[in-house]
Amino acid sequence: MSMHGLPRGITNPAPPIAPAAAAAAETKHAGAQTPGTLVLVFVFLAAFILYYFVNWKLLSFIWRIG
Amino acid sequence: MNGTFRTCPVTRLKVHSAADGLIKANAVVATVALLVGGIAAILVLLTRWQVVHLLPANWFYRLLTIHGMNMLIFFILFFEMAILYFASAVLLNSRVATPRLAWASFWLMVLGTLIVEWNMFAGKADVLFTSYVPLRANSWYYLGVILFAVGALLVVCIFFGTLVIAKREKTYTGSVPLVTFGAATAAIIAVITLGHGAAIYIPTYLWSLGILKSVDAEMYRLVWWGLGHSSQQINVAAMVSVWYLLGALTIGSVVLNEKVSRSAFVLYVLFISMASAHHLLVDPGFGPAWKVWNTSYAMYLAVLASMIHGFTVPAGMELGQRLRGLTKGLFEWLRKAPWDDPAFSSMIFSIIIFGFVGGITGVTFGTEQINIIAHNTLRVPGHFHATVVAGTALAFMGLTYYVIPLIFRKQVAFWPLAKIQPYLFAIGMLVFAVAMTFAGTFGVPRRHFDISFSQAPFDVEFSPAVDLIMGVMAIGGLLAAVGGGIYILVTVWSVFFGKPLELGGKRV
Amino acid sequence: MHTGMESPPGVWWKPAHRAEKLWVAVAFGWCLVLFAMMPFWHLKGGQNPSGVRHTVDPQAFMARTQEFINTYQVGTEGGIPVVEPPPGSDIYLIGMMWSWRPVLRLQKGAEYLLHLSSLDLNHGFSLLPLNINFQVVPGYDYGLRVTPTEVGDFRIVCNEFCGIGHHLMVGRVIVVDGPTGAAPGAGGTP
Repeated sequence: MSMHGLPRGITNPAPPIAPAAAAAAETKHAGAQTPGTLVLVFVFLAAFILYYFVNWKLLSFIWRIG
Repeated sequence: MNGTFRTCPVTRLKVHSAADGLIKANAVVATVALLVGGIAAILVLLTRWQVVHLLPANWFYRLLTIHGMNMLIFFILFFEMAILYFASAVLLNSRVATPRLAWASFWLMVLGTLIVEWNMFAGKADVLFTSYVPLRANSWYYLGVILFAVGALLVVCIFFGTLVIAKREKTYTGSVPLVTFGAATAAIIAVITLGHGAAIYIPTYLWSLGILKSVDAEMYRLVWWGLGHSSQQINVAAMVSVWYLLGALTIGSVVLNEKVSRSAFVLYVLFISMASAHHLLVDPGFGPAWKVWNTSYAMYLAVLASMIHGFTVPAGMELGQRLRGLTKGLFEWLRKAPWDDPAFSSMIFSIIIFGFVGGITGVTFGTEQINIIAHNTLRVPGHFHATVVAGTALAFMGLTYYVIPLIFRKQVAFWPLAKIQPYLFAIGMLVFAVAMTFAGTFGVPRRHFDISFSQAPFDVEFSPAVDLIMGVMAIGGLLAAVGGGIYILVTVWSVFFGKPLELGGKRV
Repeated sequence: MHTGMESPPGVWWKPAHRAEKLWVAVAFGWCLVLFAMMPFWHLKGGQNPSGVRHTVDPQAFMARTQEFINTYQVGTEGGIPVVEPPPGSDIYLIGMMWSWRPVLRLQKGAEYLLHLSSLDLNHGFSLLPLNINFQVVPGYDYGLRVTPTEVGDFRIVCNEFCGIGHHLMVGRVIVVDGPTGAAPGAGGTP
């Protein structure tokens, strides 16, 4: 018979956050709190800038128009 | 007040029986549309892959129309109707406003769908998803679309009605949750969308009947894209709302700052419809000032909104994880996340592919001048398969893995397959979309039956790289099709033949 | 700390954390760059889709194109008339189900005002392999000032669906180095 299962969020939901930790988080800079995300978004921005200007360069190779 | 409430054993939310029924009905029809659109996709793919070149020309263009309508209209909008009922009635513990009208609207949408499907399959609407005038379909086709849109608009109104009732009957305290707020912005954009839809499909319908003498071709494109692009922005707002929802369900992700996230949603509402202009950048009907202002969503303020969510969604996950003890290094919070939860993996792939591939290519091609080297090439479907398929559809697929137990109250069948499904679909779509954007830079046209041009008056030779790229595209697409097929198998089997939900060894 | 599924407790209009403010500022700065690039390219760049635009009756445009063909025809290729207009002139190209007419023979480095329109439906002008793309709309004359920058034998592919013959719709543009000396109105293939 087909194997059944359930996602972890239902069988094993994330534990509640300790109130002390939550209170501390409200006061600290979020920068210190989400360094991984900051890295990811700046990698994204770098990719964006690169792709964008490569396309302007590609455009410059075609005929003069307009 | 008709219907009864049950209390969800997992979320403790009070669920109105009408909400249960309407979510199920809309989700089922969405899945049927996905199946039809998916079969069409495989056949279209095997034709564009010149090595196979499966279909004859007329069926290629016909199935391309069927693919577009089923995926971009029927699958996605029926699923979004289910999301609207969830975000209003379920998340707010409220009864659905006017359940009888809600069911009537559902059936009206189904009727419109069937009329459109019939006309497409009968070859009476070989006009592609955009149906650009003066291409002309059978009148019933346009009427079917109009009926569908009226039904959807009614559901949107019922959504707002439910929000009012929930507030008045105090079924929740304080402000609505962020997910509901996001869904509300999607609903507002839906009103804008459907308004444009009425403005273009009604005159076109009258023209198809011979009542109106003509519809100006450029005016059609302007107003149609007011519907067409704005409908994609519904999908963006809905997808972002689902990201917040999935983050909460899978790992208890927290909201970093309500003000920032809600403001970003408001930016969507204010500026997103201007972007319809990016479909008209190399059109003769508009001047450069109009093009520059509108394509930028007024200085890219809606792009800013997406970039804001691109930060707050992962940041909320990271913060939640760190507060639960996963603090080692930069990425332990991500490495130790539940990658075997298909809803989690779907969400992550959705975020990454939507942002890195879909978002970057879209904003780039939407630049007035760069559009000259992108318009109507394969770069365009490469972009939108990264946004609406690997972005929105994948997020919706991920959500389904929670809808099955929480709404249908079944266990997920073929669980080992379910766990790998998002990986297959995401990787397949990624390869497919990136290959398309490469092929498009070589000038390969979109919506085209035969790029060997074997019967044209002049020969056209693409770079030899194109054959290889199209082969890679085909493999990616077929892999994604396998992922899509697994999704449909898992969901259909679970809903109809799945074991009832059990928690802690007991049926719930 | 609450999830997106829960109503926020109390007043949620709170100041953003430093990292959020930083990212929003950086992202907004990038948005301004994105916006500024477009007017910048209008001033300093060589490729802009702005042109001399008019509404036009499709039959009248067809007639004007035929007149252009009659004046400057130098031959035929693949059943389509080839024309060689003088540099600086107004040149005409019409898309119809399912061909582009005429075949244009142009000079490298010379500027022309290219009038694009359609006799019937939307078509897509896609000049390959350069990958120059414009929408060709019936009822609208798109007058683009173009200057070919390289010699070659180019193809115009239609990339807007226009019916069952859409994939048969191929045109041609030839760019040569200087005047070839072929007299306008002479018949035969050069």
